[in-house]
Amino acid sequence: MNIKHICHILGAFLFFLGLTILLPIGCSVYFREGDFKALLLSLVITSATGALFYFFFKPREEQISLTHKEGFVIVTAGWILAAAFGSLPYLLYGALPTFVDAFFESMSGFTTTGASVIANIESIPHGILLWRSLTQWLGGMGIIVLSIAILPILGVGGMQLYRAELPGPVKDKLKPRIAETARVLWIVYVIISTVEFVLLLFGGMSVFDSLCHTFTTMATGGFSTSDSSIAHFHSAYIDAVITVFMLTAGINFSLHYSLLTGNFETFFRNRELRFFLAVALVGMILITINLRLNFFNDMMKSFRIASFQVASIITTTGFTTDNFANWPALSKIILLLLMFAGGSAGSTGGGIKCLRILLIIKHGYGELYRLVHPHAVTTVKLGKEIVPAEIMGSIWGFFILYLSVTVIATLIMSLLGVDMMTAFSSVAATIGNIGPGFGMVGPASTYAEIPYCGKWILSFCMLVGRLEIYTVIVLLIPEFWRK
Amino acid sequence: MRIIIIGAGEIGYNIADILSKEANDVVIIDRNEEQLKMVSENLDVQTIVGSGSSPEVLKKASLDNSDMVVAVTDSDETNIVACLLAATQSRAPLRIARIRNPELNGNSALFSKNHINVDLSINPEREAVKNAVNLMEFPGASEIIDFARGRVKLVGFNVGAGCTVLGKKLREIREMTGGKKVLIVSITRGEKLIVPIGDSVIKENDYMFTVAESTEVRNTLRFFGKDMDPPRKAIIMGGGIMGLMLSELLEKKGIAVKIIEKRQGRCETLSSRLNRVVVLHGDGTGQELLKEENIQDTDYFIAVTNDEGANILGALLAKQLGAKKVISRINRADYAHIIPTVGIDGVINPRHAAISKILHYIRKGKIISATPLYDERAEIFEVVALPTSEITNKSLKNIKFPRGTIVGAILREDEVIIPGGDSVVVSGDHVIIFTLRSAITQVEKILTVKPDYFG
Repeated sequence: MNIKHICHILGAFLFFLGLTILLPIGCSVYFREGDFKALLLSLVITSATGALFYFFFKPREEQISLTHKEGFVIVTAGWILAAAFGSLPYLLYGALPTFVDAFFESMSGFTTTGASVIANIESIPHGILLWRSLTQWLGGMGIIVLSIAILPILGVGGMQLYRAELPGPVKDKLKPRIAETARVLWIVYVIISTVEFVLLLFGGMSVFDSLCHTFTTMATGGFSTSDSSIAHFHSAYIDAVITVFMLTAGINFSLHYSLLTGNFETFFRNRELRFFLAVALVGMILITINLRLNFFNDMMKSFRIASFQVASIITTTGFTTDNFANWPALSKIILLLLMFAGGSAGSTGGGIKCLRILLIIKHGYGELYRLVHPHAVTTVKLGKEIVPAEIMGSIWGFFILYLSVTVIATLIMSLLGVDMMTAFSSVAATIGNIGPGFGMVGPASTYAEIPYCGKWILSFCMLVGRLEIYTVIVLLIPEFWRK
Repeated sequence: MRIIIIGAGEIGYNIADILSKEANDVVIIDRNEEQLKMVSENLDVQTIVGSGSSPEVLKKASLDNSDMVVAVTDSDETNIVACLLAATQSRAPLRIARIRNPELNGNSALFSKNHINVDLSINPEREAVKNAVNLMEFPGASEIIDFARGRVKLVGFNVGAGCTVLGKKLREIREMTGGKKVLIVSITRGEKLIVPIGDSVIKENDYMFTVAESTEVRNTLRFFGKDMDPPRKAIIMGGGIMGLMLSELLEKKGIAVKIIEKRQGRCETLSSRLNRVVVLHGDGTGQELLKEENIQDTDYFIAVTNDEGANILGALLAKQLGAKKVISRINRADYAHIIPTVGIDGVINPRHAAISKILHYIRKGKIISATPLYDERAEIFEVVALPTSEITNKSLKNIKFPRGTIVGAILREDEVIIPGGDSVVVSGDHVIIFTLRSAITQVEKILTVKPDYFG
């Protein structure tokens, strides 16, 4: 492992991350709310540290490629550094008094979780709020993938980083070059974001709100600029636009790419996409009926609220238009289960991912089938293609690790003295990068009341969830560091 | 440039490696998923699982946008079909196929524009055999590469213990030769590649490349204590395609050849194809047989079976029994740098020969010829100096070449100039440049014509 080289790359990455603060700085200049200094200082500290690392750790000869292991270290360290430096604006402005709170907020931003510890969002200046939304947008498609697209020094070793960051069990390249693949994904991301931004403007949102909500919808993040989330806007149109774009962001971006390049067949024939939409639809119908019968007494309202909430939870966004903590038990259980499903592989959504769940179901059925026909050859197929046993193995491994981390973190949370529902749902909502859970962390409250240690645990869960378990957990086993 | 490579074997992999690092978009197609996984782990290229002769797969690789198709699978048929498809379905101007069957290869009408449309067909074995024969003419050298149609040669050899220049600085050597045209372009010590400067010292076991006029090669080798007479007797171990080709060529050169082959049936084929060559049935790694056939009087023992382990052992045994020079065929680049250290004098590497031929072809244009050296860490190529290129009409020391780049020779009409810092390149000269791979793109940039050339 070449530590020097790793630091060199991380330096470049930090320098670049610092520059992204320019956007909120522009905003703070426009609104003049006293957050200019804090943001500027954050930019200077982040970029200066980055530049220092970059030049101080210049490798002697040009390093041509990265090993797997270096890839894992760079991606995990990159995300932790992003969260740490991303917390500077909150700390320096004083929006959040302690480092743990600021780190939690920042990690929640980059991992597109959307869990907040800020109780009164409306009191925060616009520049900081824009930074908060921007962190989600950057984290959505992946800060490392963005770096690969922009920084040429990551060109050759980029594949290792790309694989360590992009969600999903199979990672295909859209273009022969990794930097170009990353660029294509980001361009698609920007195009869809622009469309949403314009549509939200049409709905009567201010430019600032449209921009922030576009950032957090497309990233399936869930930060809002108001305490009551999307309910604040009281608009069926805005609900509908955001519902559609949450679902869009929950679809594999390479599919969007095929759609944009005119390859409709690839898009509509994709099994995972169909499965994802089917699950979302079933969830919406069940909750609509449940709400209509036991809660709202109004079909249209039930459907509007239910479809929004299901889209928000299954794509792991975490926006709310109604306090679902008060809903009937069936609806709540469905939402809790959907938290685990998550979006599609290669989307900005978190969770286990529909592709994995679909394949696990198929695998399970295959085993049953074999009991009936002991000599049958059972392969897991996705469309026409056979899923190799190796990938099935990695999916099962992922599934088990995901549940194990959830269980262990839940045990620790309950040890810290929060109630059962809070302990479980806070872990499920952070590891799945969703945001709101149940109990103390329900849609009407924030994570502010979680104990000190708990915030660190949940920050860790967010990171583990965003980087899909393996990338982070592999660093924790001794074998990784053995020479 | 966008390049489709079909076949992710040794040749495909290495071509992809070199081309992708030079800012080309490379797509590799292979049927073997495992092999592709290895490729995508190590190279920045796109991989597609499937057969290269399937139109569907080629479409997936966006054949219609590609500039070149390189078909290097093990199957001649697949390669031919792939080129055929490329010719009919795309504007891909360049089609290169690996064709091993000598009968197909010999029938050149098959590859004319009217038929299959293969721009270049390469037979790795034949290329390797040609290189080997070239090498055997100068027994002191371990590698010989032709430039300018053979007028200038790049000679690679190992510095032995008795050499008079040991411990000398390059500066001093220049004085010793007294104006003779010798230029050392690179030195490898162990695994390290050294870019020579005036203060570099020559040590025992260094592996050097020098550039010399063809008439001077023998003198140069003598100067470094590497002189030997041309060979008269050779024993070839292994009667496969390569063994046969090698026997035929050596026979033509008037060398007495014996060929050892294990399989009885193949021996019969060999004896029917060869006239004066002695065909022996037996194991080339057997002491008795070798002694019986006077191995101690043999100038060259060449092991070219498909088993590289056997080749290396056979060559070592022959050396020990008294063969003057031994050459072994190897296929894997990994072994290339251990070969000189164990006492084998030369290597035949079909893979390397094929890569060099393909690169040569790809760089065609202003660059006339190119050859990868040292496991592809360096490359030497021949270019024509164009009137507006940055290297023209400047003295060499004023050209901003990247580190490790050396001008090995300048060819002006019939004159060969081994240059110094003050030499000036004139438009129309052929220039031979040695460079490290990391610097190739920069060198290419220097060589490219400035825009006003087209104006």
